[in-house]
Amino acid sequence: MENRSAPLIGACKNYEEDLVLYYYGEIGASEGGAIERHLAQCSPCGKFVADLGHLLPQMAPKPELSQPFWDSYFRETVAKLDAQAERQNWWRRWLAPMNGWLVPAFGTMAVALLALVLVLEKGYLPSFTDTTSANIPAEVLVDSNQLEFFKSLDMLESLSTLEEQDGAKPERKTSREGDSQVA
Amino acid sequence: MESAQELGDEALVALCQQGQGQCFEVLVRRYMEKAFHIAYDFTRNKETAKDLSQDAFLRAYANIKRFDGRSSFYTWFYRIVVNLCLDHARRNGRVIWESLDQGTEESGTPRQLVDGQHQPDQEAIAGEANRRAAATLESMPNKQRTAFLLRNQEGLAIADIAKVMKTTEGTVRVYLHRAVAALRQSLVEFV
Repeated sequence: MENRSAPLIGACKNYEEDLVLYYYGEIGASEGGAIERHLAQCSPCGKFVADLGHLLPQMAPKPELSQPFWDSYFRETVAKLDAQAERQNWWRRWLAPMNGWLVPAFGTMAVALLALVLVLEKGYLPSFTDTTSANIPAEVLVDSNQLEFFKSLDMLESLSTLEEQDGAKPERKTSREGDSQVA
Repeated sequence: MESAQELGDEALVALCQQGQGQCFEVLVRRYMEKAFHIAYDFTRNKETAKDLSQDAFLRAYANIKRFDGRSSFYTWFYRIVVNLCLDHARRNGRVIWESLDQGTEESGTPRQLVDGQHQPDQEAIAGEANRRAAATLESMPNKQRTAFLLRNQEGLAIADIAKVMKTTEGTVRVYLHRAVAALRQSLVEFV
């Protein structure tokens, strides 16, 4: 082993990826042949593959674990699987004896409850059609009186319009008569 | 159970799906070491690796009925393990690569990236190399690290890694190349 401070000499750029795959044996036979021919004449690429061969097998080594560890691991895993299955099934086992009648019973109960709620709720809701003065707030009553006043004003206006129209009609009639006379 | 051990993964999964849960124990026995080692590669902690890999078995069993057989069981299962490890890394931030420096309990000897001769200076260099390798792996994007660990540590073929990572083989090749190039770059002075 040597601790070098020499600059890194890379492999040929167009070969580098293939050299990694070549190292891992993940390259086809024909490409592998081409790489071997290149390696025979390119020392930086040869150095690159040699570095990989030295470094990569030693990367992040696995712990060497004894058989008792694996036996214990297996037992623990199976126990956890059993506990998980137990948790998943508890509600099924709880409901199992009641399966025959529980669903229709719950269904009937839910429908009855819904009907009860609807009936009660309708009784408490204020009716929109109830317009007796006792139920109408004072501010609204004042407004309604003003509305009546303005309605009567409208009526007066329309009466005067009618009168105007009545007054205007004979004049128009006379003008038409005059026109016909001219014609 | 003796005959179940001779069955292939797909047959065992089919039996599990039919309600024969005890067949899953054969799959546990078959894949526990792989699952543990993948989790260990990601976490570098024995207890965490044990918990994560066991959790992967629990998830696989809970979802066994969803396994549709489009991929092999082990690529489906490895995907669960890897996802759990990545989730764990996201939640817990930095990985403590304690074992790279401390060695393993069982072997009792420190494992080093460079060949130590039990001389103080060489041990120091080896420790530095291990730390740098750890730091480089840790600083890698998750996908690069996953591709590298599954290929370099677990020996999965690129085609299988692509299935585990749900990506193309070409993409895995790129991840692997970048990861290896980064490691070589950071460790070249220790070669």
